[in-house]
Amino acid sequence: MINVQDIRDTARDLLAKGEVRAVIGYRRGSRGMLAEPAFITSPEQADELVWDPTCFHNLSLYLVHDRKFLDHIRKNPGAPVAIIAKGCDARSIVVLLQEHYFKREDVYIIGVSCEGTGVLDERKLAPHLNGAQASNAAFDGDDFVFTTAEGEKRLQAREVMADRCLECRIPFPKEHNAVFGEDKAGRQMEAPFAALTRFEEQGSGERWDFWSHHFDRCIRCFACRSVCPMCYCDECVVDSITFPVTTETTAEDKANRVRWIERSAVRSENITYLMTRAMHLAGRCTDCGECERACPVNVPIRLLNNKMEREAREQFGFEPGASIGGPSLVASFLDSDPGDFIR
Amino acid sequence: MSKKRTGVFVCHCGTNIAATVDVAKVAKEMAGEDTVAFTKEYVYMCSEPGQESVVQAIKDNKLDSVVVTCCSPNLHEKTFRDNATRAGINNFTCEIANIREQCSWVHNDKAKGTEKAIKISRSVVRRVNRNQPLDAIAVNVTRRAMVIGGGVAGIQAALDIANAGVEVVLVEKQATIGGRMLQLSETFPTLDCSQCVLSPKMVEVKRHPKIKLMTYSEVQELTGSVGNFQVKALKKPTFVDPDKCKLCDECTAVCPVVVPNEYELNLTARRAIYIPYAQAIPASFTLDESVCLGLNPIVCGKCKDVCEADAINYDMRPETVTEDVGAIVVATGFDLYGQENMGELGGGKIEDVLDGLQFERLCSASGATKGHILRPSDHTEPKNVVFIQCVGSRDPAKHCAYCSKICCMYTAKHAQLYKHHVPDGRAYVFYIDIRSGGKGYEEFVQRTMEDNDTLYLRGRVSRLYRHNGKVRVLGTDTLSGQNVEIDADMVVLALAMVPSKGTTEIAKVLKIGRDKDGFLAEAHPKLKPVESVTAGIYLAGAAQAPKDIPETVAQAGAAAAKVIALLSQATLSRPPLIARVRRSHCTGCGMCVDACPFIAIRLENGKAVVNEALCEGCGSCSATCLRAAIDVKNVTQLQIYEMIEACLAV
Ligand SMILES: Cc1cc2nc3c(=O)[nH]c(=O)nc-3n(C[C@H](O)[C@H](O)[C@H](O)COP(=O)(O)OP(=O)(O)OC[C@H]3O[C@@H](n4cnc5c(N)ncnc54)[C@H](O)[C@@H]3O)c2cc1C
Ligand code: SF4
Ligand code: SF4
Ligand code: SF4
Ligand code: SF4
Ligand code: SF4
Repeated sequence: MINVQDIRDTARDLLAKGEVRAVIGYRRGSRGMLAEPAFITSPEQADELVWDPTCFHNLSLYLVHDRKFLDHIRKNPGAPVAIIAKGCDARSIVVLLQEHYFKREDVYIIGVSCEGTGVLDERKLAPHLNGAQASNAAFDGDDFVFTTAEGEKRLQAREVMADRCLECRIPFPKEHNAVFGEDKAGRQMEAPFAALTRFEEQGSGERWDFWSHHFDRCIRCFACRSVCPMCYCDECVVDSITFPVTTETTAEDKANRVRWIERSAVRSENITYLMTRAMHLAGRCTDCGECERACPVNVPIRLLNNKMEREAREQFGFEPGASIGGPSLVASFLDSDPGDFIR
Repeated sequence: MSKKRTGVFVCHCGTNIAATVDVAKVAKEMAGEDTVAFTKEYVYMCSEPGQESVVQAIKDNKLDSVVVTCCSPNLHEKTFRDNATRAGINNFTCEIANIREQCSWVHNDKAKGTEKAIKISRSVVRRVNRNQPLDAIAVNVTRRAMVIGGGVAGIQAALDIANAGVEVVLVEKQATIGGRMLQLSETFPTLDCSQCVLSPKMVEVKRHPKIKLMTYSEVQELTGSVGNFQVKALKKPTFVDPDKCKLCDECTAVCPVVVPNEYELNLTARRAIYIPYAQAIPASFTLDESVCLGLNPIVCGKCKDVCEADAINYDMRPETVTEDVGAIVVATGFDLYGQENMGELGGGKIEDVLDGLQFERLCSASGATKGHILRPSDHTEPKNVVFIQCVGSRDPAKHCAYCSKICCMYTAKHAQLYKHHVPDGRAYVFYIDIRSGGKGYEEFVQRTMEDNDTLYLRGRVSRLYRHNGKVRVLGTDTLSGQNVEIDADMVVLALAMVPSKGTTEIAKVLKIGRDKDGFLAEAHPKLKPVESVTAGIYLAGAAQAPKDIPETVAQAGAAAAKVIALLSQATLSRPPLIARVRRSHCTGCGMCVDACPFIAIRLENGKAVVNEALCEGCGSCSATCLRAAIDVKNVTQLQIYEMIEACLAV
């Protein structure tokens, strides 16, 4: 099991030696049990770091932010940023590296293994606590241990774990500079894509009703896109209000802007948004689950992304984030790809 | 931007379009479009008067853009763009709306067909509204050609091109040119000796001042485009200097390595140092590095010791050369469908069951048996031989769906050759039906049946197995409805022709398409049978489809003519419809770089940059880019968006 002190020591050491300019990790939140992202810039702060079942955020998002918004204020632009990354998060970093978003030497990956468990799905926890509030969560072997006003509550992790963690095939950050915890590959507790497979057992009518219901409910707050490290585009094609005007923008570019969808959050536009996004994440989404977690109205976005992921895996044997130099799904062709429809 | 003045010209295409589409209605609807200043319908827009009327209308009505709603742009885009030029407007403001292939030909219902034709036409009118006038890009032409594959197709193409005064690089993978034809004994329908016909051509290739011959070489990489290709080829070391080699054959006598001889289809063995055939060009021995004991005097070195001409050099290394050429002919030929795939016929494991090429080698005077037909198992003369046609061909369920076209003919030839060699022998042929279209072909088959007393049995063979030193053939004769059982001394399978391994490889390297069966795809089945889908790359011979020698030679000549015509121009004009990067949107992810089949994009300072000389305007990049940061000129995202909108509008 991971001893959080080891992570702290590593962070302290890296900062003290000036090997990194910051460590992005998790600290205790200001509200109850949940951890929150932490940006540690001095060795003294290293003890704030935590590692528990509520560390669900995919912190690689902040690497994107760092490059996008903070480039100009860096004190020591030479040194990399260290980041704590779970298996899925590390794969997101690999995809970003694959897409040349930054260089490998710009990031120091402190990998953490999800070992025998994974992270918590808050929505699953509530029924187990009978209305009580937990103030702390901790890993303990195959269990999660929660501290509540009524004392300690021990639950089998699999009962309250996020679905994606149950189905996770690679709960270990293969790409890393340092790593904590054992590689428990093969510990998967549910078949890959189990939730998707269950969903698809329904008829097309039922599925359409299901999605109509959810597409009606999306309020197009774009939280799913904002939280996704892969959605780093300067202009999102399905949201023309983000059109970037830079010194390189030509009059022709401006004249050729397209408004693929209308701004009103109605079903047709929401479908176009969510479907386009799913297509754009094919071969890139690493199933970190952040989009679904961030959604204020519980749209099951993961099902869409999962569908693309399974398709890519079954048709092309493709695993997102498998290797930095590897091919990207949509831009690479194999001789064995079906090609007889092209003439 | 002042409002466009577009002219819309609706073609009836006789009744091809007019029968399913109300053309008058299409024209009327288009007249209602905001930017349309003129409309006209006509029975054959592409006819001389039709074309004249387009030119006249542009001039009379001061049109600045044109939509011709007719057939496929493949056929007439150029025709009508040329008319635009003649009328004095930019040709890239002219577009085709295809209401034939994409509408009238695939529908029956006139009302719905008309509705669809209107949508298609309207979408193109909207597209043209945003078309930019563009100027063609002129590029210089490299007046040199490359031929890949040195079979009869490649040899013929190389000679034809070289005789027109154009320098040719002929690249052959094997140690000699000649291909499959060099393995044949005599050829249908005249039964002239294959090598006697081919050898003089091979020598001519060798001696031709305009041909640079590169044998034992492989093409590894292609860059550039029509008129200016750069081809990287690897010259594998033969370890023998062809200029010094005296063909004395001393080296093979001492070489201790014995391996199956692939040039003799494994009927005999060869040494690690060998010459493919006596007629090989270049006339030199080759040392096969993959089986040599070590290229090293300490390990062996026997051949080097014995070579008085000092032709053997163990220090030869692979050499990469880059050739600049303006056009390429691909003539990489065929293989036979492997016997191992024919489980029902023994899967290649039954002795004395041969394939057609092996039988050719048995008949050939230069073959292992010096032209005596002796069966491999005991070197006796087979007194009855069963020939089986269509093995692996015409069997969509299990093997190849297509007809290999030449097997009926060469089986007839085999039966005749057999009877000539073994007059008292008996030949049986199992066939499904006989396909002998071709000059003198039917007569040839008749001769086989009548003069050469060959028993043709219509039906399939269900099983082969070894029985009392013979091969038992179980089949049916569907004409008499009886089961047939023959104990044959030898069986010859007319296996399907498949694209050679080298063809599959070269298609990948050159990025040229293949058809459903793996043969190289021609650009148009009727009108462009020797062009590949990539401009400047032409096809010849059995790599494109199963064919016999006359057809192969004809196609090679046609490909050569295309090359000569192409390279006779001083400059080529390239369409300016190329990709353009929206720099403010490009994140430099590089997906387009990987997707571009023409290696036209590179990343520079974190942004994609398109090489205008290489871009073919295929749009792969644009379809790949998540951020719509790369567009092809005159097919921009906005144009596509407005086209979709025009189609959806009710
Ligand atoms: C058993 C049999 C009998 C036949 N009898 C007759 C007959 O009697 N009359 C007749 O008209 N036709 C006959 N044919 C057909 C004839 O063999 C073909 O039509 C002819 O050989 C086709 O020539 P080609 O040059 O296209 O291909 P090939 O002869 O296959 O030559 C292709 C050449 O390309 C080379 N190559 C392959 N890949 C590469 C690469 N990647 N790079 C460089 N070089 C490469 C190969 O080494 C080879 O030298 C017969 C065929 C068979 C199988
Ligand atoms: S799916 Fe959810 S998070 Fe995404 S835009 Fe809609 S409401 Fe917002
Ligand atoms: S949905 Fe597509 S275009 Fe929009 S931000 Fe995500 S990846 Fe970029
Ligand atoms: S789409 Fe959702 S699950 Fe996939 S990488 Fe983005 S935030 Fe994570
Ligand atoms: S795919 Fe798009 S964003 Fe990526 S490098 Fe190419 S043009 Fe730029
Ligand atoms: S359109 Fe794009 S993908 Fe196609 S050749 Fe040009 S740059 Fe390459």
